Amino acid sequence: MNLFQPEPRGAHAPRPTLRSVGPQGEVEKGSMSSPVRILGFVNHIAPVPDIEDEIRQAFEWGVDVVVAQGTGSDWGPYWLGSGEQVSANQAANVEPYVRAALQHGVPFVFSLGIAGADVHLETCLRGFDEMCERNGWSPEVGVVRSEIGKDYLAAAVADGPPVVPCSEGAGHQPLTLADVADVERVVALIGPEPVQELLGRGVDGVLTGRALDIGLFMALPMMRGIPTAVAAHAGKLLECGGLALEPGDSGRSVWASLDETGFEVRSPSRHARASVRSLVSHTFYERAHPTLEENPGGTLDLSQATYQETATGIRCEGARWHEAPYTLLLEGARREGFRAVTLLGVREPELLRQARTWTEAAEREVRSAPRFAAHVAAGRLRISTRIFGLDAVLGELEPNEKVTGHEAGVLVDVVAADEELAREAAYFAFIRLFIGPYPGRKTTAGNAAAPIMPVVIPVSAVYTFSIYHLLPLADPVEPFRLGVERFPRAGAVREEAADAAV
Amino acid sequence: MRLYECADIIRSKNAGPFTLTIDLFFGDEERYSIAKGSTLLTVAGVAQAYGVEESRVKGVYFDDRIRAAKVSLLRWSSSTDPFCADMFGAHLHTPLADGELVPARSEGVPE
Repeated sequence: MNLFQPEPRGAHAPRPTLRSVGPQGEVEKGSMSSPVRILGFVNHIAPVPDIEDEIRQAFEWGVDVVVAQGTGSDWGPYWLGSGEQVSANQAANVEPYVRAALQHGVPFVFSLGIAGADVHLETCLRGFDEMCERNGWSPEVGVVRSEIGKDYLAAAVADGPPVVPCSEGAGHQPLTLADVADVERVVALIGPEPVQELLGRGVDGVLTGRALDIGLFMALPMMRGIPTAVAAHAGKLLECGGLALEPGDSGRSVWASLDETGFEVRSPSRHARASVRSLVSHTFYERAHPTLEENPGGTLDLSQATYQETATGIRCEGARWHEAPYTLLLEGARREGFRAVTLLGVREPELLRQARTWTEAAEREVRSAPRFAAHVAAGRLRISTRIFGLDAVLGELEPNEKVTGHEAGVLVDVVAADEELAREAAYFAFIRLFIGPYPGRKTTAGNAAAPIMPVVIPVSAVYTFSIYHLLPLADPVEPFRLGVERFPRAGAVREEAADAAV
Repeated sequence: MRLYECADIIRSKNAGPFTLTIDLFFGDEERYSIAKGSTLLTVAGVAQAYGVEESRVKGVYFDDRIRAAKVSLLRWSSSTDPFCADMFGAHLHTPLADGELVPARSEGVPE
């Protein structure tokens, strides 16, 4: 059991008690049987226009903690590797929730920054600074930075138990020092424990980098004696906000009240409702297995879970938690090269009939050109042509062998060791496609339409998930940097200027 | 009947970067049992639909309560592949959805 015992509150404890005072002024009792009520949403998606109504409804029912996830690996390794943000302003999405949480004196717990490394979190924290400044708020916030230092990881690989691959689909081997040396950035999906550590200090809220979604939801309930299985089951249903409702919309929120044996889920919006079907189908969502989910420290088992309609929502019970050694999932991105693309449109019937042989000929010419051949042989230059209208989505799985429509798009995708090589190869491919002969050609002035100038578009550096491994941990808090900061932070503007100068 | 016509909702998505999961929801008991009893919604049927080894199919699951099925398989090209065509795995349902729902019990029975 990883049930965290909160430490006595120290100097960082402006609020009289972590146990909340409800909106009607009733003070909850300290027994294990007090329910813990969560308002959940997703903070990387903009809220629906009438979100204030939902929040008001939820707080009328009572809320002990407001929780939202804002990290994930679904967007691929690019963001982790590049340090860029998919959307820079997650703070705007949390503003109405933070206002309500501060008004009612209940903590908020958010993970931020999608890829969730320090650089992403910092971008979001600056948005948080501005939001607090604008509203005249000065919350004391616990911050968990969940990027893992390369020195720390190298020591773990050298001295600790093996850091093994998490997915057989990744084609990885146990982590080596070379993997650590090559990686651009590494994050860990923190469990509930670092959040609990900070909540235990009586902060107004906790902001984290990359985190396990359900861990954010589990943190406070577990501190208040809710069984791990119940907390994890609730977290699984709440982690995508209103997506678990009917109709599903992650711009909406979801509410649940947890006790020792289970929890009730309700829709704070009158435009959506919780149903057995919506909740059970949500337990499937983005999960390989419908009822088993491996988490740090144990597996959530929903094989005997029950869902019962009540007058106000759906009562969920029967989750089990099987203890396992504590491991954290690490994600790391390595730079693979640089991408350049070129795009052509085809409307000529004869060329559409032989679209694939035409692009294959151009690819061959690139690969065999004296200026590129050595780079191709050394793996420094790769080229792929996607024909939209033929097989761009499914690739080799596509059963259609010919273009069946009246036009098609050709995207030449080049990944090379550096930008110059990628651009040169993409340009070479464009020219061969544009003017190269093909059997039965009538269009001798140019084979296709060029919709974008410059014809070669330098896209970006390309990254791969070189680390997707499980790190065994004795202490789930130890690798992370925890702090309590007063927002808006005094040095925020200066730090921004210093970063810009780098 | 093809799976595409049989299912009301066909939800294709990543389950982590390296696994694809396809959730299928059926509108009534009749269509749910046609799908559940088919050769397509088996490990072998899924492997064949995607042209992969059976070992890459992590499972085919059913939930009678909500008339749903789940198919999970390891991705053949994931977001870690520089030429991945579908980062979210949101559009990889068609090879499965195009499959015919043949009753498993009629397999091998001479006509």
